Formats: sequence, structure tokens, C-alpha cells
Amino acid sequence: MNQNKNAIFKSKTIPYLYLLPTSLVLIIFIYYPTIKTFILAFYRSNFILGTRKYIGIENFKNLFTGALAPGFIQTCIQTLVFAFFVVVLGLGISMFLAVLTNEKIKGAKYYRLLLIWPFALSPAVAGTVFSFMFNPEVGVINIFLNAVFNIKPGWLTNPYLAFSVAVMAAVWKNLGYNIVFYIAAFQNISKDPLEAAEMDGASKFSKFIHILFPLLSPTSFFLLFTNITYSLFDSFAIIDVLTKGGPMGQPPFMDNVGLTTTLMYKIFLDGFGGSSNMGFAAAETFVLMIIVMIIAMFQFGILGRRVNYDV
Amino acid sequence: MKKFVIALLMLSLSVTAVFAQGSNESGSSVIQENAPIEISFWHIFGDARGQWIEDRVEEFNSMQDEYHVTQENKGSYRDTLQASLLAYRQGSAPTLVHVAEAGSQAAYDSGIFMPISDIGSFDTSDYIEPVLNYYTINNKVNSIPFNSSSPVLYINTDMLVKAGYDKNWTPKTFSDVITSLEKAQAAGVTDAKYTDAIHAWFFEELVAEQGGYIYNNGNGRDARATEALLGGEAGLNVAKFYKDLSDNNLLAWTGKVEDWGGSDNIFTNEKAMYHITSTGDINVISAGAEGKFNLNVGMLPIADNSKRNGTVIGGGSIWLTKGHSQEEMEGARDFILYMTNTENMVSWHKLSGYYPVRKSSVELLDNEGWFDTNSLQTVAFKQLLDTVPNKATAGALGGTVYDHRTYIEEALVKIINGQSVDVAMDEAIKLTNAKIKEYNSNF
Repeated sequence: MNQNKNAIFKSKTIPYLYLLPTSLVLIIFIYYPTIKTFILAFYRSNFILGTRKYIGIENFKNLFTGALAPGFIQTCIQTLVFAFFVVVLGLGISMFLAVLTNEKIKGAKYYRLLLIWPFALSPAVAGTVFSFMFNPEVGVINIFLNAVFNIKPGWLTNPYLAFSVAVMAAVWKNLGYNIVFYIAAFQNISKDPLEAAEMDGASKFSKFIHILFPLLSPTSFFLLFTNITYSLFDSFAIIDVLTKGGPMGQPPFMDNVGLTTTLMYKIFLDGFGGSSNMGFAAAETFVLMIIVMIIAMFQFGILGRRVNYDV
Repeated sequence: MKKFVIALLMLSLSVTAVFAQGSNESGSSVIQENAPIEISFWHIFGDARGQWIEDRVEEFNSMQDEYHVTQENKGSYRDTLQASLLAYRQGSAPTLVHVAEAGSQAAYDSGIFMPISDIGSFDTSDYIEPVLNYYTINNKVNSIPFNSSSPVLYINTDMLVKAGYDKNWTPKTFSDVITSLEKAQAAGVTDAKYTDAIHAWFFEELVAEQGGYIYNNGNGRDARATEALLGGEAGLNVAKFYKDLSDNNLLAWTGKVEDWGGSDNIFTNEKAMYHITSTGDINVISAGAEGKFNLNVGMLPIADNSKRNGTVIGGGSIWLTKGHSQEEMEGARDFILYMTNTENMVSWHKLSGYYPVRKSSVELLDNEGWFDTNSLQTVAFKQLLDTVPNKATAGALGGTVYDHRTYIEEALVKIINGQSVDVAMDEAIKLTNAKIKEYNSNF
């Protein structure tokens, strides 16, 4: 049947009119700031002095050559490592927990509720909770470890441990969000293939690998993207509260900036901290944008084709 | 078409409604005849110290009816300065702003402030010289000193005595510190170590004690700084001090830079024999030591074979923004002189531990017998009053103070982790120079 696409709207202008509010919001809050940021990257702009001077591509040049470059490159690399762990652990753990809550057990409803709860907290609160827990002297973790094993790891002072704690906090904070989507996905999965598999005597593990995992792939695909953006952008408050971007790693490659300095955090430091240059921060923002675009293209181009939408 | 017009109208209405809330409130600010002139003061103190400011404001308001001062806590130094800058650019700047010592050059360069000494003539000779020196820019008293402190050496004398020293002995040089720590450890005091917050402020102070400059052009005081020296030889001496401490297992720190509370805890929990921190913490440290160990306070140790030059003042001062009527500026000046008068600085000192910034306040405290019952404070005052007034002790002036502090702290961490002093300090200089170049290109 050949549908008339304009069947609902008699006038040609009406559909555009309905699009107008959304477009306005997008233009004002997304496109306009993006373009302004891009333009700002070609200026030297000090927040305190209120200066603004066109300097061409110097900000971009300073990202990759000169004294400030090693810090930027180290930040980019550790940002990607941070994102990798947050996304992989975040999706893995939440899928595992969601599968468990789907078991027919007493009080499953309450488990689900409790698992969703961390999502209701702001990242700053999550950071505070973790900084209390992992405080080397008075945190519950070290009180326990000290009592049982007689050790007191410097969770927030050892660079690798601090990095792990930041990853854990970021994963934990987003678990609720992921679990909600997985639980919702389970509601839509037909029971037939599972029951058929059960009759054939499939183990729980093979049921998960061969049936649930593929059926969950649309949700996983969606969550993959939201988790990547979350790990790149929303970890700011957690880092700020937990480690302030420190501590520094070992030479020769990891001693240019603190190991938990993510690109988002560095943008803030360079734009508003020290002797501010908002243009330099804007150039960094632009690079971050490109990283996100590459990841998104890779994701939709390669992974997108392998998602199983047939249920 | 009619629908289109209606929809468009609705939309424009809703859009204007959103933005309407941000419109100005000029209607309500019509100044009446004979009403007192409004003066606003933004500062960083929220606790008992904020209450102290509020009390002084109320006193000042009730003393006269020409001016009416309002005060507001705007959060950290950074938040307060940023809020003031934005307010100024929108035409509603506060009259008086509390600015950190390290933010002086940036605030000066921002162009929103004017030297307070341009407002009539008033006597500043009562302010303690090294304090006033910091806030004198281009030979003009630029802002009025308020909360001021400098670091001193805190000593656990119980450990010292076990090492075979007299309880009143204090180390004079870096070597004294290291030797006495080694002796204490040899005597079985395994926790005999040195600790501080790993804050570049201490590094700067130890450089100033040797007369070293952080920046060229007379520490940024003769002309705008164009190059980082980070103390030169003096800086290397200080960095080497940290290396010696670390190499000989005589350094205790939390692993976190600028960890004020953490280093205080190390010292008050008897995990260190020496601790360098602000005079403003005397009350905190004394309370922490009480019932545990005997505490003494000494002057900062200096590099071997150098002459004691004195310390730089830390803390904040009160700045006057541009663009107000002569009456308002005079009122603002009078208020701030009232808030920092002799008696008020005495009560400020007793409350907060900050130095009273006036000589007459020190005399008053002395006459009251304050130093007899608070003998630990005496050393701090002596260190401040003995300071040789010169460009090293006036403190480094630059728009990149927060940058170089970060880089120095990073260098110290690298040195503690085993990197060579020269390489780490060279890197810090290189990075600071990049920031200086960047900053100076704004002009």
C-alpha cells in the first residue's frame, strides 16, 4: 500500500511548526554553544582578565607540541582507559545483576528497587560516599582490611588504586540506570525460546549466552552509547570529589598529570583554574567531541549491524 | 494559515516568558534622599569567622548613619573572585572583595579594582611591614591586609628529648632537621619524621628565607614577570631538602598534595617529629597534641650556609572595585579600616589564629600578657617581625601563581618518587614558563 506521508497534515508548514520548539531547544542549547566553543578554540581568552584575542590554531598546536602536550596526551589516553573500564564493568555487572533479579525468588521486587537506587544519587554524592568508604584512616574498607588482614592500602593516594576507586564509583553510580533498562528489556522478551531451551536441557549459562544475550543486544547497544557518554562527561563530579584529578603516576609516561584526570576534568582546570585560558579548554573540548564522534561512528557502523532486533 | 499564526504567537509568548525572568530590577533601586549609601562586601568566611565579620558590620552600621554595609559569604577565594568579575561585567559589582594573596596579580590585571590608597589620604604605617609589602603594587597600597598567616615549624619535643636534645632546642637549618631526625631514629623513635602538606606555599617560604625569587623582574615586583626562576639555587636547595628527607626515609606524607588535614593528623598522631604548617593552625595542633605529647614551635629551618631573610605573608586582603561614587568609596575605605583597627585585629587574632596585621595590636596583646600564656605564638610573631623587608619576602607577584604552585607540587612528588632534583625542577620551570608566556600574551 502506498501511504501518503502527508496524510495527517493538510498544510506543508504545520509539520515544521511542530518541529520548531525542539529545533529551537537544540539550536539554543546544543548547536549554538557547540559552534561558539569551536570559535573560542581559535582565541586566547582569560576568564579573570576578560580578554579575547584571535590566535589561529595555536591552542590546537599547544595540545600536541610544547610543554603542555605530554599532559594532554596522557589525559586523553587515561580518559579512554577510564571509559573502557566504566563501560565494560558497568554493562557486565548490571546485566549480571539484572539476570539475577529476573529469577523467580522471594522479594525479587525489592532487590530490583534497591539495585535501581544508586541512580537517584547525584555523582557528587556518589563521590562523597566513596571518599568516606575509601578514606585510608577512617573509611570502613580500611577498618575492615586492617582488622582482618592488618593492611591499610592508600586507596586515594596510590595512583592505580585511586584510578580503580574512581572507576568503581562511576560504575556503581550508573548501575541503577543500566539495570532499569535491562529489567525493562526482560519484560519484552518472549518466554518461548527460554522454555524451549529448558526442555532441551540447556544449562543456565548456555541459555544466557545463546538466548538472553543476543535478545538483549538492542538494549546493550543503546546502553553502550549512553554509558560511553556518561563515562566521558558525567564523571566530573566523582573525580572532583574523590581525587581532584590526582595522584600522579610514575615516570616516564604517567607523571605529567594526575592519573584520574579525565579530559572533562582537565578542560575545567585549564579553562577556569590557574591562569585560565578558555580557548585552550575549548580546543580540548573540540578534541573530546571528535573522540566521541569517532566512537559513535565505530559503534553504529560496525556494532550496529550485529545487533539482533528480531524477537 | 490562521492556525500557523496562532501557533507562532503562542510560541513567541512562551519564549519571551522564559527570558523575561532575567530582566533587570532597576525599578526598585531608586535612591531616596538622605538614605544611607549602600556598601557591599563579599568574603570567603562562612564559619565563626564569617560571624565575626557580620558582627563588625553591624557595629559599623550602628555607629554611623551615613553608610549601610552588607556582607555576604561567596564561598572559596576562587568563587568569590569569579562572582565579583561577573557581577562587575554586568554592572552590579560589590564594593569590597576579599582576594587571596596568590590571586593578587590576576585581580590587579582584571582591571575591575582600584588601589585603595587612591581614596583620600590615610595612614598605613601601623600595618606590619612584610604584610603591607605583599599588598603594595607599583608603590601603592593596593588592598588592605586582613587575614594573614605564615608557616612555622611545629616540634614534638618528646621525640626530640629521646634523641638526646634539650626540650627547648629547635633546628635552625635543613641539616639540623635531618641530623636530629636520624639521631631520634637511631635512638629507637621509628616515627621520628618530617611532614608537611606538600603545598608549594611552604616551598615559596623556604625560598624566601634564602632571599630567592620565584619570578624574574624582582619577583614580579619591578615589572610584569616574564620568566619563572622558582627560587633558582635557593629552589634547588629546598627541593634537595625534600629529596634528602625522602631518600633517608625521614619524610611522612599522605601521598596527596595540599593535604593540610592529612599532615596535621600525621603530626598529632605522633607519626612525625617535625611539621611545617600555618601559624593559623596553632590552636588546632595544640588541641591535637594535648594529653599526647609536648609541643614546641620553632622558626622555619633555613638552607645551610644561608642568611635568615624572613617569611612571606599568606592569606587574603580586601580590594575595592572601580566605578562607585566618591562617598561610597570613602565609606568602603572607612569600613575596612574599622574592621582592621587595633582592637578588632586583637579579637580576630584570638578567634582565628591569624596575625593581627597592626603593630599596635601586637603591642596591645603584649600588654595584656597574651604571649605569656600563649608562648607558642611568640615564635610566629618574632619570625614575622624579624623579616627583612625586600622583594623576596614581599612575595612573588604573577598571574600564574596557582600554575607554578601546581607544577612545584608535582615536581616535589616526582622527587619524592625518586626523580632527580634538577630534572624535576627544570620541568616545573618549563611548564610555568609556558603558562607565563600564555598569560602575558593577554596584554
